[in-house]
Amino acid sequence: MSITKQDVELAAKLAKMKVSDEEATIYEDQLKELFTWVDELSAVNTDGVKLTNVNLAAHIRPDEPISDSARAEQLRNTFTDQEADCAKVKKVL
Amino acid sequence: MMTIEQIVSAINNGEKTAEQIVKESLAVIAQKNPTINAFVEVFEKDALAQAKAVDQKRARGEKLGPLAGVPVAIKDNILYKGHKATCCSKMLANYVAPYTSTVVERLLAADAVILGRTNMDEFAMGSTNRTSVYGPVKNPVDIERVPGGSSGGSAAAVAAGMVPLALGTDTGGSVRQPASFCGVVGMKPGYGRISRYGVIAFASSADQVGVLAANVKDTALALEVLSGKDVHDSTSLEAPVPAYTQQISQNLKGLKVGLPKGFLDGLYEDIKARLLAAAEQLKKLGAEVMEVDVPFAKYSAAVYYIITSAEASSNLGRYDGIRYGYADQTAPDLNAYYENSRAPFGLEVKKRIIIGTYALTSKRYEECFLKAMKVRELIRQDFKKVFEQVDVLLTPTSPVTAFRLGKGGKSPISLYLADLYTCPGNIGGLAGISVPFGKDKKNLPVGVQFYGPILQEGKILQAAYQLEKSI
Repeated sequence: MSITKQDVELAAKLAKMKVSDEEATIYEDQLKELFTWVDELSAVNTDGVKLTNVNLAAHIRPDEPISDSARAEQLRNTFTDQEADCAKVKKVL
Repeated sequence: MMTIEQIVSAINNGEKTAEQIVKESLAVIAQKNPTINAFVEVFEKDALAQAKAVDQKRARGEKLGPLAGVPVAIKDNILYKGHKATCCSKMLANYVAPYTSTVVERLLAADAVILGRTNMDEFAMGSTNRTSVYGPVKNPVDIERVPGGSSGGSAAAVAAGMVPLALGTDTGGSVRQPASFCGVVGMKPGYGRISRYGVIAFASSADQVGVLAANVKDTALALEVLSGKDVHDSTSLEAPVPAYTQQISQNLKGLKVGLPKGFLDGLYEDIKARLLAAAEQLKKLGAEVMEVDVPFAKYSAAVYYIITSAEASSNLGRYDGIRYGYADQTAPDLNAYYENSRAPFGLEVKKRIIIGTYALTSKRYEECFLKAMKVRELIRQDFKKVFEQVDVLLTPTSPVTAFRLGKGGKSPISLYLADLYTCPGNIGGLAGISVPFGKDKKNLPVGVQFYGPILQEGKILQAAYQLEKSI
């Protein structure tokens, strides 16, 4: 699997991270080494392998509405700034 | 340092007060922490208040909890309301936990005393504890060497006798490998055994809270307190928690122990010798040791790096200056806002996010991420089959012993391979424990590891306890 500096820059952009030119060069070298090693997986025959639930015996539960008002208040109280049953968050821009 | 069992007994019998025990721990921390750097913050005032509350409870004639007065350290990625939890990252430098994790709630309910938060690799990504924003931890066995990671501070705090119990987290070996490097016991229970509510996520299909203690019995006692279903964590398992402290005293007659084929190939001679000695010892204790085949387990480390990096790239998306983390409010537009706010991540964290994002791009998704997920399935099937033949597996914990701070393990691949024997546990969701079993020629601790299937923590604790007792 070939990795280029452009691949590193694209992944960084998708992850909304700035990487300097120097960092991109370092990551390019390290990712080349890593993905060459990871390439050993391509030798494994995975034809017909079906993915099972990652959580093994645990199950992802459906969303449940919380009607416990004490819990709602407890969650609201994790915000330092509140007004009229609403949590105030900082301004973004 | 007294064991947990001794502390709880001394407090219940009135030989010592919880306040005395906590003050003794604080004195050791004051003396050793400036060199070891295991604790990044000590909650002295709160710890003393908690200790006094335990003493008052006893004075009132009330029954004390199973960890009465036991000083406990928590890794810096575990939430404790009103206290900082920074993942040893500049990104969360000012983050104060708004609620308490279930593990800390359970410790407090058992009358334990939370002493402080411990050093770690940034966001639990690393196996040396060199990527912490608070600087590296020194191994108490030899301060020129690394303690392992990422729960290096927790392992060092126990090894230095600062606390008898510490919590860590283990995504690829981050409890067991530092335990092995520092000569203490480190256990990662099976996936779902302990709640992760209030534990900062790295890779959710592999993360587990683990225990570091000076001996196996103390580990078993802590696991009894920490385990069990939690309504706040849908991945926690609905299964009764056995009395591990009783289970461990059963002898090993008839226990089937598997030695995975190929795990010893190319292994550093001293570690191989200790592992074979452990196998011999188990035979003497009545266990039946046999070679078993887990052909796909050798791919665990490669699978681990793809899957955990992919999950990290998603989990760490929340550090965007809006939901969590540093915020650059001077940015001119939204893109700059995100990019500048995510700048405090360290090099290793950024690298893992890049690896994960890359593995999930449409160009690489099938050959990287999907392939790794499929191989993971084969590894799981391997373990399922092998645990139909044996009760536990015996493996090395780490292919090396603690290396020098400034030297070994600098190449990324050599660091990834440091997790060679611990990754399979996270990829397979297994329970794993590292127990010290002698030293290498440099007089450094060597750990051996037992694996058991999900919900069979008692079996590996039993094997580890009987092995430890026989030394």
